Amino acid sequence: MRLEIGADPAGGTPALEEHVRDCASCRQFREEMRTLDTNIRRALERPPGRVGAPRLTAPWRPWALAASVLLAMLAVMTVWLLRPSDTLAHEVVAHVRQEPESWLASRQIDAHSIDEALRGAGVKLDLSADRVSYAQSCWFRGHYVPHLVVQTTQGPVTVMILRNQRVASRRSFQESGMTGVIVPAPQGSVAVLARGNADLETLASQMQQEVRWLPDAP
Amino acid sequence: MRNSQPESPVSSISERLSGADPRASMTQLFESMRPDLLRFAHWLARDRSLAEDIVQESLLRAWRSRDTLKDRGAARAWLLTIVRREHARLYERKRLELVSLDEALDTQAVEKAGSDSDLFTLRHAIMRLPIEYREPLLLQTLGGFSTEEIARELDLSSTAVLTRLFRARNKLRAICGMTPAPDVSTSEALP
Repeated sequence: MRLEIGADPAGGTPALEEHVRDCASCRQFREEMRTLDTNIRRALERPPGRVGAPRLTAPWRPWALAASVLLAMLAVMTVWLLRPSDTLAHEVVAHVRQEPESWLASRQIDAHSIDEALRGAGVKLDLSADRVSYAQSCWFRGHYVPHLVVQTTQGPVTVMILRNQRVASRRSFQESGMTGVIVPAPQGSVAVLARGNADLETLASQMQQEVRWLPDAP
Repeated sequence: MRNSQPESPVSSISERLSGADPRASMTQLFESMRPDLLRFAHWLARDRSLAEDIVQESLLRAWRSRDTLKDRGAARAWLLTIVRREHARLYERKRLELVSLDEALDTQAVEKAGSDSDLFTLRHAIMRLPIEYREPLLLQTLGGFSTEEIARELDLSSTAVLTRLFRARNKLRAICGMTPAPDVSTSEALP
C-alpha cells in the first residue's frame, strides 16, 4: 500500500481507500505525501535555474542587498497609494523585485552575454556593451525575455524586452519604489524601470527605436 | 540548429497564421504548447540552451509527422513524449558533455535570496534526482501521464514505474525533513 501511495499520492483504488480508512499510519503517510506532492508541483511550476547568473560572492553584497531592500521598503510605503492596477506593470515590477542583485551589478558585461540574453527572445539591440551591467534571459509569462540593466547618468535602469506582451499605448507607473514606463513596440513592448523617481522617456524612446525584432524568434 | 531548418513550424508561424494556410491551426496548437514543452525539457535537461534545442528539434519532428496525430486533444501528451525521446537521444549522444550540475545549482543560488527557502530546497533536490527517478516524476507531475503510460513510454513494467516514483518522492521526503518511508523491495528494482 505504501508503494501505491508514494508513487501516486493523489490516486487511489477502492482497495487502497478501504485500507486507508482502517490504517491510521497509512492515512498519515498519504496526507504527508499529498502535502509533499503539492510542494513538488509548486517547485516545478517554473523552469530550473537561469544560465549565467552572477554569483553572490563579494562580502559587501549581503549588506548592499539589505540596504537595497530597506530602501525599497521605504519607497514602497511612500508610493503605496500610487500603485497601479496595471497587471503587466505589476508583474514586471514583481519580477525585478525578485532580482534585487541586478541593481547592484557594476561589472561590465561582455557582448557575448548580452547577445545570449537577447537571443532567447529573438531580438537584437545595438547597445554599447560598456553601459550594460546585467544581462539575463528570464522566464516571464511563459517566455524567456531579456532583462538588462543599463548604466545611465541617472543611475542603473532596468530594461525588459517583452516580445509577446503587446500594449496599446505608452503607460507610466510607480510601484514598489520604482518608476517605470512600458512602451509599445512592433512585436511586443519594452519596459524601462528605475529606482526612485527618474525621467525614463529618453531611454524608453531609444529602446523603442533600437530594438530589432528578428523574424525567427523562438 | 534553428537557422538550418527552413521548414521550422515555429520560425514561420506568423506567416502561416496570417494566411489561409490550412496547417495554421496545427502550428498554432504546437506553438501554444511551447512554454509547457520548454519547462518540461528544462527540468529534464537541467540546462536552458539544451532545453531550447530539444524543444526546437522536437517541434520539427512533430511537424514532420503531424499526420500521425489523429486526436488533437492528445497533442500535449504526444508532444511531451517527443520531447522526452529527443532528450533521451541527446542524452545518449552527448552523455559526456551534459551540463555540470554544480554549475546549474550554483546559478540557482541567486534565486534563493528572493524565494521561499523550502521551495528552493525542493527545486534543488529535484534537480539532483538521478534521471531514472526524475524522468517518471516529471512525466507524472508535469505531463499528467498515468503509471501505465509512463511504463509504456519508458519500456518498464508498471511495478518498476511505481517503485521509481515511490523512491523519487521518498528521496524528496527525506530532503524536506520528513522521515523517509522504509524502501520498497520489489523484483522490479532499478538495475
